[in-house]
Amino acid sequence: MRVLQRENVQEVLRVGDSARVASDAPARFKPGDAVRTRNFHPPGHTRLPRYARAKRGVVAISHGVFVFPDTHAATGDKKPQHLYSVQFTMRELWGEGASDIDTVHIDLFDDYLEPA
Amino acid sequence: MNGAHDMGGMHGFGPIAPEPDEPVFHAAWERRVFALTVATGFGGEWNIDMGRFARESTDPAIYLRSTYYEKWLHGLQHLLIERGHVSEAEIEQRMAQLAAREEGGKA
Repeated sequence: MRVLQRENVQEVLRVGDSARVASDAPARFKPGDAVRTRNFHPPGHTRLPRYARAKRGVVAISHGVFVFPDTHAATGDKKPQHLYSVQFTMRELWGEGASDIDTVHIDLFDDYLEPA
Repeated sequence: MNGAHDMGGMHGFGPIAPEPDEPVFHAAWERRVFALTVATGFGGEWNIDMGRFARESTDPAIYLRSTYYEKWLHGLQHLLIERGHVSEAEIEQRMAQLAAREEGGKA
């Protein structure tokens, strides 16, 4: 087991740890693509919030490849995959009476998304 | 998991009141919980996402009334107990010891 030594503390806190993974795996989506989030309710960790399941949005930014938190939390499997900023209208997320101009951006992984 | 942490869209919690010039730590114990979490996490026995899941696994009623670093502490206790590093009884025993010491200090 690694032990954090007093002399290493400052460096460890300064550098931190990135979840970005070097990869040339192709992205399933590109900015401008219409997507639909999956509707699932896993008992484990997920970064797809309940209010954003089974919703239609548009890919705004492609961030690159990152560790997939769902499997990483469950078993340690990094399952690296593309991460996107996906834009949703408030109307899509919250329904009647919500703005169709105001939007929310949520960072979402390939495994959460289907083409729409 | 559909836990208490996934609060987006929930009503009834009242307005958010940001603190001007919010300190990094509000009390000495918060600093200690941060240090414990970093030091034990560095061991590599669990990763950051396992740590987050441990916090999310806190009993929902406790989660909702906990402050930020209280949530960290609940998560850390969960991991330490789950992996057999300490037992719930040992934690309770140590808390009782410290409470008694504090009482003694006041007398």
